[in-house]
Amino acid sequence: MIRCEGLTKFYGNHQAIADVSLNVAEGEIVGFLGPNAAGKTTTMRILTSFIPPSGGSATVAGHDVVDDSLESRRAIGYLPETSALYRDMRVREFLRYCAGLRGMGGVETRERIDYVLGICGLTERADSIIGTLSLGYRQRVGLAQALLHNPPVLILDEPTVGLDPNQIIEVRNLIKNLADNHTVMLSTHILPEAQMTCQRVIIINHGRIIAEDTPEALTAQIRKSETVSVTVAKDESNVRGMLLDMPEVVGVRSLGGGTYHVDTAVGSDKRAEIAELLVGRGLGLLELRPLEMTLEDVFRQLTTEEEGVE
Amino acid sequence: MRKVLTIAGKELRSYFVSPMAYVILGFYLGVCGLIFALTVGAPQAQAEMAGMFHTMIFVALMMAPILTMGLLSQEQATGSIELLMTNPVRDIEVVLGKYLAALGLFVLVLIGSLEFPLIMERFGDPDWGAIAAGYLGVLLAGMAFIAVGMFASALTANQIASAVLATLMLLFFWLIGWLAFSVSDQLGNVVKYLSIYENFQDFAKGILDSRPIIFFASLIFFALMLTVRTLENRRTV
Repeated sequence: MIRCEGLTKFYGNHQAIADVSLNVAEGEIVGFLGPNAAGKTTTMRILTSFIPPSGGSATVAGHDVVDDSLESRRAIGYLPETSALYRDMRVREFLRYCAGLRGMGGVETRERIDYVLGICGLTERADSIIGTLSLGYRQRVGLAQALLHNPPVLILDEPTVGLDPNQIIEVRNLIKNLADNHTVMLSTHILPEAQMTCQRVIIINHGRIIAEDTPEALTAQIRKSETVSVTVAKDESNVRGMLLDMPEVVGVRSLGGGTYHVDTAVGSDKRAEIAELLVGRGLGLLELRPLEMTLEDVFRQLTTEEEGVE
Repeated sequence: MRKVLTIAGKELRSYFVSPMAYVILGFYLGVCGLIFALTVGAPQAQAEMAGMFHTMIFVALMMAPILTMGLLSQEQATGSIELLMTNPVRDIEVVLGKYLAALGLFVLVLIGSLEFPLIMERFGDPDWGAIAAGYLGVLLAGMAFIAVGMFASALTANQIASAVLATLMLLFFWLIGWLAFSVSDQLGNVVKYLSIYENFQDFAKGILDSRPIIFFASLIFFALMLTVRTLENRRTV
């Protein structure tokens, strides 16, 4: 449903995102995880056609976000990060306005407005002026407008920011329930949140995607291993087996082209042994380096920044 | 078209829930009314609106930037533009919707100003044909002022800056006619053709000519087109 190919965005000379490629399948809930200023909002703004990419391309529901943005925008319900709403409007009136902008009208629209007011817990505030609502309620209004036209794709930028713990739990449950008939991409800088709501997590840092997996797999991979990247000239089929047979090696992933990522037990440094083994077999060791632990650094940042609500 | 009306309705409504609509109505009718009272009260005053139309168009020039300053600037300042532009609406629909709202309020102001000729009718015998031509001129000029104001509003997120910018642009088109005195005849004619003041002269006298109509229509068209282009820029650069 969502596909990005090599997205790049420059603000002047500053590169906000670099070569972002990702794929979100229909019905998936994907967490877009990264520290502040990692490029999450920029990516989402490109996907919603608010800003154009400097390079690369993206499609939502099969429509290009630049060339066919009217159609791609039709398929998206978007909760912007700031949720800047019209403060002088009443909640229901605002939703009616949004419905008008999306070409909705008639009796079904009135019912649909009542429905989203209900699931977002806003029924009693339907006639309040938005400017008088608390941040949590305003966030719900933002969510209500995103759901209003029952879009196939939901793009939610930090949906739980500014909410109190109870509200956070409510919103998370709401999002989980949406997954049955929506594709959801939500951004967060809180790891436990991604773990709790998402089937898959894409981690972005300094504008680059650095990891992509299920929350469980990411946790396992990072907490339990050090990783060494090796490249050999003669990529024989038994290289992986040989590496796996070494003591303290817990996993080997082939990246193709003779490159392997070797996970070893935490605290171990097997570089010397790996080099000895590969050179001894005459495989032509081209490169051997410890993987920079950016993922781990990011991970640490994400886990310590906020413990999250359990 | 329905989306245009949705946006227009919302903007018109915000004029009336904020003090803006009342300030604009009060300002316009107050200033024009004061000048009307002074001229009509003068000895040997005549039941004709030509002078009044000059007042009306100049006050409209001062008013239009205030009317339009919030239309796009405020959305940019608060960030609500993100919500607006990520909806499936065309940029031109956004521009036309907001333009119609400002125009709607301006038409309301003009309807209020009908009190001036109606008062003349009570005490004299004004030429209603000339008055109709004059009103058409004020309407066309107002439409152009609002279009220029919208363009200024698209350029900056700061409402004050937008109003000042719009006033400067409008004053430029107003005053450019004065250059005609200090340049060659040929250039002078060109300069006069670009002047709002010169183009309004015929209307005020009750003369309908195609040239000033084309001038104002072009000004409206170009200002609105530039506004749309300014919004499009954020999507396509």
